[in-house]
Amino acid sequence: MTRSIIKIKTTLLDHQIAQLSAIAIGLSLIESVLPSPMPGVKPGIANIITLYAIYRFNFKTAIWVSILRVFATSLILGQFLSPTFMLSLTGSILSLLTLYFVIKLPSKFFSPIGLSILSSFAHIAGQLMLVRLWLIPHASIYYLIPIYSAAALLFGFINGWITYRLLKQHNSI
Amino acid sequence: MKLRSNFFLGDCLIILVSLIFIIFAFKTFWHFETGSVVQVNFQGKTYGNFSLFQDKKISLVGKEGSSMIEIKDGRARIKTAPCKNQYCVQQGWINFTGQILICIPNEVSIEILGKTKAYDSLNY
Repeated sequence: MTRSIIKIKTTLLDHQIAQLSAIAIGLSLIESVLPSPMPGVKPGIANIITLYAIYRFNFKTAIWVSILRVFATSLILGQFLSPTFMLSLTGSILSLLTLYFVIKLPSKFFSPIGLSILSSFAHIAGQLMLVRLWLIPHASIYYLIPIYSAAALLFGFINGWITYRLLKQHNSI
Repeated sequence: MKLRSNFFLGDCLIILVSLIFIIFAFKTFWHFETGSVVQVNFQGKTYGNFSLFQDKKISLVGKEGSSMIEIKDGRARIKTAPCKNQYCVQQGWINFTGQILICIPNEVSIEILGKTKAYDSLNY
């Protein structure tokens, strides 16, 4: 019997995606252990990596990092295809979509801080829409909009600020 | 992408707009409206609607005994209840739309009604 060796040719970009995803997954796992005052109110620190990838590399890398992170984290935590996973995926997709448009804003006026706030708003908007349409189809969840928006602004700002500092340290900005 | 400035006009704008949105959201979704009518339900049926601005005491005799509902100064409460737990009595006065007091043993509940019905887990 001959041993067959499967070799996949990897590019430098693949390695970069893998590294960034690993960090993002790690951050997601750390975050999942932290207690939350309310389901859904989470800092979302893994989004720092997504934003970082956009600025440091390109948008395609960011999509890979973000989606890989969602899938891998849910597999590790045993939430794959559960409502938690669907919420996470919806939030990430909407947030990426928003970033795709807002990254085109003039960088003279808009830093990662503003973009991070917008993306976290998109994240929570997507999740609330999914909750409204699928999980709790009732108007009473609108009660939660103020809380979630306040959390989005706060954590979006903090994440954006961290990203900004990281990029500055690496002279990418 | 190169940028040097430390002051980002766009970011400030985004933060400002978000803050306005949050304040607006709190005002829209968290407004508590003072009700004007209290609906008294007794043994699964509506016993009657009473104005909150007319002081009144309603005594209902159910399976457990007598429940006393008091309406005073635009508020309502269950003053006495025959049950053991006294949850409805201890919740005190209610006056906002959608607030509700329930005494399950004696099948009495009172709910504040207003122009719009507030959302809560009960009418879900």
